[in-house]
Amino acid sequence: MFKYLLRRLNLFLATSLVMVGVLFYATGLFPVDRTHALTGIHTPTASQLVQIEQDYKLDKNQAWQFIAYLQQRLSGNLGISVTSHQEVAEELSAVLPASFELAVMAAIIAICFGVPLGVLASQSQHKLTQNTIMAITLTGYSVPVFWLGLYLSLWFGVDLGWLPISGQINLLYEIKPVTGFMLVDTLLSESEYGMSAFKDALLHIILPATTLAVLPFTVVVRSTRSAMMNVMNQTFIRAAEARGMHTSTIILRHALPNALIPVLKHLGLMLGSFASYAIVVEMIFSWPGVGSWLVSGIYQRDYTVIQGGILAVALLIIFLSILIEVLHTVFNPLSRKDLYATS
Amino acid sequence: MPPVKIYQEDQIASPTMRVWLNFSANPFALAGLWTIAFLLLLTLFGPMIAPFPPEAQDPRALLLPPSWDPSGTVAHFLGTDDLGRDIFSRLLHGAHLTFGMALLIVVTALFTGFIIGSLSGMMRGLKSSILGHLLDALLSIPSLLMAILVVAVMGPGLENVFWAVGIALTPQFVRSIHQSVHEELQKEYVTAARLDGANSMQIFWYVIMPNVWEVVIIQTTLAISAAILDIAALGFLSLGAQAPSPEWGAMVAQGMDNLLTAPWAVTIPGLAILFSVLSINLVGDGLRSALAPIRN
Repeated sequence: MFKYLLRRLNLFLATSLVMVGVLFYATGLFPVDRTHALTGIHTPTASQLVQIEQDYKLDKNQAWQFIAYLQQRLSGNLGISVTSHQEVAEELSAVLPASFELAVMAAIIAICFGVPLGVLASQSQHKLTQNTIMAITLTGYSVPVFWLGLYLSLWFGVDLGWLPISGQINLLYEIKPVTGFMLVDTLLSESEYGMSAFKDALLHIILPATTLAVLPFTVVVRSTRSAMMNVMNQTFIRAAEARGMHTSTIILRHALPNALIPVLKHLGLMLGSFASYAIVVEMIFSWPGVGSWLVSGIYQRDYTVIQGGILAVALLIIFLSILIEVLHTVFNPLSRKDLYATS
Repeated sequence: MPPVKIYQEDQIASPTMRVWLNFSANPFALAGLWTIAFLLLLTLFGPMIAPFPPEAQDPRALLLPPSWDPSGTVAHFLGTDDLGRDIFSRLLHGAHLTFGMALLIVVTALFTGFIIGSLSGMMRGLKSSILGHLLDALLSIPSLLMAILVVAVMGPGLENVFWAVGIALTPQFVRSIHQSVHEELQKEYVTAARLDGANSMQIFWYVIMPNVWEVVIIQTTLAISAAILDIAALGFLSLGAQAPSPEWGAMVAQGMDNLLTAPWAVTIPGLAILFSVLSINLVGDGLRSALAPIRN
């Protein structure tokens, strides 16, 4: 197991290195001065210019420059934003929690509704129920997310007036950021309006989280269904049936834990698509997260913001997908069989 | 007249025939296939049958609702947008931008991915590892972020969407082809063929590939639907197709200003995207279940 973890760590480092390499190459291609693209300082003074040249080793060859670039980025120096003149790292740490909050809510919605529905689809004998669930998931899989988001906000936000459609919280509430997660911060805040602020924040997150949950939800339903159908045909399920166990016990205790393993793997493979979805959803609902920050960065050609955002998101995705792979191996002894054999 | 049966034994359908029989037994998948054929025709001949040019503005027919509405006219079948442009014609002109572009991107990505994936799958050891995993790093950059990077380097435009989505899709092909070639290579029938004296090229083409085509086909359908959604999303964010272009995602973005008064300018292109992706997913699903008994 130790050897396996070491190999995964190795993979993580190698993939991240290639990713930073791609980013470094792209930085060189940006249609601005190299110093500007690297630091975000538009017209550096003479002393700044010397400093930049020293930091990024601009007088040496490409390999040295890459190492210097890596050093700067890993030590947290992402440059300053061209438009706001703030440190990119600071801005990033301000927008990351909001994205996390949205992602966690969407994941909770997707799993809480997706797993039961997937089990229902696999167990139901009615052709109608099965077909309805499959039709819903296939439509959810195919719908363009920006269009869905627009329509949800039009229906629930404008026509019915039930839910707010933009932002994280009503601007009337002044909440001091402690953790960065709005739902937690409102609960932690000591003002007398804390509870109503929490409710407001909860109302704000419903629409974006639901929109974002559509794709993971369909993936969960479909993979749960196929995994359950696989598992229910196996001999240990028949043995459990022969022992006279109740169907619900069999499904909950014997089948479902086994079926969730491939679901986890599927979710891991879809992380990139989820991230793309999240960017669009954040744009539509003006959610102050990484996605809308990055897109406004590209509208303003804010090259340091683009680099910092892509670096953070891609590193996160690499890390999460390797984490999911490791978890998959931990939970599934069968996949450990060919662990040491091939590449 | 059906052919007269002389012999007792049943005719055994070829594998391809069996897949087709399985596939066509599913009415939804067949409907999807017809829709795709229809879309292909529109992609090729849409601009010819469109009643208006895509950018023709009619100041006397601004924000006209679709023809089934009491105040709509048949001349503008699906209504007009805020500049008086005919939505039906724009949809027809946009088909080759959204759907045709997606096909083009997928074919290119498939070709590149096929070469790299099969090469790295057939090789062993470090070389295979490097070739196979090199592009895995690109896999971790979501397609939209890749597009943002490409736009930052080359500026927005429909040609750059080709590169952005293509670069995002190619590693998926590389990975799936690499994995399935690698898996097949371990199996015993390959060893048997090798003992019969087949060289690497023959093993690759005649022994392994027939078992890998299914993976390639399924991956292709997945990639086409992903490509359409990506192109449309980029058009919507105006990072891809730019404002007057009749690309479907860009049409949604252009209709957004009048969402409350003229929702059809957003609904109709959105539905067009939804149905084209849905039909491709239906075919993909049908293919997967038709191929499943053979694969297992």
